Amino acid sequence: MPLLNVSPVQRPYETLPNLNDIAIPARAPGFGEDTEDTAAIREALGPAILDSGLQLDLPWVTVAPSHLRELATWLRDGPLGYTTLIDVTAVDLLDLPAGEAEHRFQTVYQFRAYARGQHLAVLCPLTGGASPTAPSLAPVFPGAIWPEREVMDLMGIEFADHPDPRRILMPASWPNHPLRKDVPLGGEDVPFSLTWDHPEFEQLGDQILDPASRAPDLPPGMSRRNMILNMGPHHPSTHGVLRLVVELDGERVVNVDPDLGYLHSGFEKTGEHRRYKDFVYYTDRMDYLSAMNNNLGYVLAVEAMLNLEVPPRAQAIRVIMGELQRIASHLFWLSTHVLDVSGTGMNLLMYATRERERILDMFEMVCGARLTTSYIRIGGVWKDLPEAFLDAVNQFCDLMPDRIHEYAAMINESPIWHTRLEGVGVVTPEEALAKGLTGPMLRGSGIDWDLRRDRPYCGYETYDFDVPISQRCDSFGRYEVRMAEMHQSLRIIRQALARLPEGPYRADDRKINPPPRAELDVSMESLIHHFKLFTEGFKVPPGMYYHGIEASKGELGFFLYSDGSGKPYRLHVRGPSFNNLFAISDMSQGLMLSDIITNIGSIDIVLGEVDR
Amino acid sequence: MGLEDLLPEDSFITTRVEDLVNWGRQNSTWPLLFGLACCAMEMIAAGTARHDIARYGSELFRATPRQADLIIVSGRVSQKMAPVIRRLYDQMLEPKWVIAMGICASAGGPFNNYAIVQGVDKIIPVDVYVPGCPPRPEALLYGLDLLRKKQAGETFSQYRFTEAMPAEAQTAAGLSVRPG
Repeated sequence: MPLLNVSPVQRPYETLPNLNDIAIPARAPGFGEDTEDTAAIREALGPAILDSGLQLDLPWVTVAPSHLRELATWLRDGPLGYTTLIDVTAVDLLDLPAGEAEHRFQTVYQFRAYARGQHLAVLCPLTGGASPTAPSLAPVFPGAIWPEREVMDLMGIEFADHPDPRRILMPASWPNHPLRKDVPLGGEDVPFSLTWDHPEFEQLGDQILDPASRAPDLPPGMSRRNMILNMGPHHPSTHGVLRLVVELDGERVVNVDPDLGYLHSGFEKTGEHRRYKDFVYYTDRMDYLSAMNNNLGYVLAVEAMLNLEVPPRAQAIRVIMGELQRIASHLFWLSTHVLDVSGTGMNLLMYATRERERILDMFEMVCGARLTTSYIRIGGVWKDLPEAFLDAVNQFCDLMPDRIHEYAAMINESPIWHTRLEGVGVVTPEEALAKGLTGPMLRGSGIDWDLRRDRPYCGYETYDFDVPISQRCDSFGRYEVRMAEMHQSLRIIRQALARLPEGPYRADDRKINPPPRAELDVSMESLIHHFKLFTEGFKVPPGMYYHGIEASKGELGFFLYSDGSGKPYRLHVRGPSFNNLFAISDMSQGLMLSDIITNIGSIDIVLGEVDR
Repeated sequence: MGLEDLLPEDSFITTRVEDLVNWGRQNSTWPLLFGLACCAMEMIAAGTARHDIARYGSELFRATPRQADLIIVSGRVSQKMAPVIRRLYDQMLEPKWVIAMGICASAGGPFNNYAIVQGVDKIIPVDVYVPGCPPRPEALLYGLDLLRKKQAGETFSQYRFTEAMPAEAQTAAGLSVRPG
């Protein structure tokens, strides 16, 4: 049985007459050579491993569902030391020739061995046709609980022995599983009407959802003997539309059950209906506090599948933008965190916004937008840097260290700040690994890991910077880590500015990037390229790939499954906020109600990314 | 300092009560502290020192809908969030106004899919639409300007009768504040 059958499917637009066939050499589908790790896994588990090998630079292993949990346990406890499950997702093969009735779904797992810097992807073809069952990995990796609930909710895959099999994003009464290929994208036709007598407007106010769609009142495991308190989705301190159902004994927290999905926007399904280059604009709107990092994570995944070389200037520009965005995101985290915990009230929000606005102004210089930048594009960046930008960044780098010290001084002097953060929201290193926490949540628990240093991209290996960690394991430790990260980001920006190479700012590949405007007037070939790119887009060779970057909140991963057409067959986003937020329940148990606010701020969530 | 210094002692000014009340409402429209998505970041930016929404008397973001006059729907409205927004709106006291901030709240924006309500005007009546993705803070302030213009023209009668009167009668009497 071919486990990764990725023969291209005929898409409607491909029946158009082919003006100039985009000839990207198709990489042979299936897996390549075994790596050391996959060979070791084959040796240990024998016939349970159906297939293994390297695809692009990722080692993949295909395992029978009956042996999935055995493999996961062996990966965790065995010599390879894959201590963390980073991501769980699934693919619906219905539209592919391989998607025969019995083997319609596959689950996909990403494992990480932090000590050795290794990544492993595991594919598990399920049986059972349209109602498949997979073994749950939650008993082995608690971090699988939420991602598996997401797969269950959006794909309709049952997980045997799952401790909490409820929908997580969609309303409880939702009729279908939206990411399945036989469920349409949905939406409405746009009425091109500007008059008030259009029938559309007669229904104003009538389209209120069925009250049954509200989440059930009492989550499982909670008792009416204690007080049940509802926080959110409209609450000033939940950083967006997060709803927490809190079980309280007096003012002590017994249990917390987050209810997500109030900002679920269908990014993944939408991405599967857009051309590759068009999804860049959607990534901005996921983690809207670090749009540049979101752009970067997505384009790096696509570029790896295209095997596309990005010019050095674009690499350096990407590094500058990514680090500026990290500072902006951390500033916003700091100001709202302080506002919630009230070390100094509104003051720090005003001060930190002053610097954040400077960064947003710089983004505006390069791309015209403050938040939704869409500046980093597949193959490079949108436009070259304007001259004034370099001066602005230099001035910013000179000014910023003092400002960060100023903020630290403002809040470190405050006893309230210390009392409310120290010892609150403790995450032990073991918990952090088991729950798949990433970013400052991981480093705040003393685990020395940063994707920029340990699995470098964009040439980060050539920059000189430290990875701040804290052994405190509490909210104060994470605060220290983020503050130190801002200094390190400035250090990286300075180095990138000093070396900023001359040359092109986007790959000179006409199959991927549109030709310059001036060329369209003189070259018929360029015009055809331009037309093809903007009508059907470029095609990505068949295969699948996962790429993670160190975004400001943790590991932002993009999983792509290409069938060789111009749109991703499956697009999955591993949002760091989503996995990090899972920790809130254990972090808050036994603390006071007000400490939940500290924990939410300390995890640093953005609901656009949690709910996607 | 102001008008009182220019007037002789023991004098008075005549005006309509409606004008006086509208003047007050225009200059102290308190928004609901309510953020949805990307637009909420620009709403917060409008509230900070650089853009300074306090110039409009709107810096007092209230966390409870019962103290708020204005709900700024700042972002995409998901199917799951729609009933919540409707309830928040219902909890606000009259007079109340709605700004749909950004294209998602106005018409669904780039998210024409299963998850997103195609415009918040399907569930609550909107007074001002602010286009943009997201609109800049200046655009939101301009939206507030437009709202002030609208507030200036409101009358007591429209609040006294609109609840009781059928829609056709409201339109006939020229009382309809809300579209539809």
